[in-house]
Amino acid sequence: MSEDSELTAVLSVLNDEYARGILTATSQEPMSAKKLSEYCDASLPTIYRRIEELQECGLLAERTRPDPDGNHYSVYTARLERFAVDLSDGEWAATVERTDAAEDDPADRLTRMWEEL
Amino acid sequence: MTTLQVLPQTPMGIALVLASLLSTVVGLFIGYQAYRGFRRNHSTPMRFLSLGLLLLATSYGLAFTGTMLLRQGTIPLQYQNPIRLGVRLVQLTGLSCILYSLYRRP
Repeated sequence: MSEDSELTAVLSVLNDEYARGILTATSQEPMSAKKLSEYCDASLPTIYRRIEELQECGLLAERTRPDPDGNHYSVYTARLERFAVDLSDGEWAATVERTDAAEDDPADRLTRMWEEL
Repeated sequence: MTTLQVLPQTPMGIALVLASLLSTVVGLFIGYQAYRGFRRNHSTPMRFLSLGLLLLATSYGLAFTGTMLLRQGTIPLQYQNPIRLGVRLVQLTGLSCILYSLYRRP
């Protein structure tokens, strides 16, 4: 039996409801860990663990945003677009389509650009 | 005068109308992206930038509509200067919003 290692890693991460919740939320708008913890109704450590797992699979992107005090905090955006599994002749293969790390929503790019002026 | 008679027949006239329409559309689109940036990132500067850009785009539309209606005779000619002033005031408000967004830190 031959299994794709990316397949098992992604399946394992997506099997978790909190990880899925994080992706659901961040596919709509960038969110901080704190907001995700409220959204998913999970503790902050749990969220941070899922964030790390998602980042290891390249499914979540991280950016920093300034807060009113001038400090920076991280916001996350979902990179997963499509996940497909193929089984052919005893071989498993996973297709993971991700948003290009450099490419992001023009509205977010404009926001970053303008705030940095 | 009917609307058809008012529409420009010359290439220059057509180009002017097209340019005005496109300016309004492009301006509105940029303003829309700025508004999305405000909603997605909860950014106050973006709120004012989007407001300013939308006002500027609207001013193009107002200028265009005003010119057409004046030419058509729907609006009496004595309103030409008040309309011009109105357009300039909308532009000034838009620019002020953009200026404010530059100084208002998130």
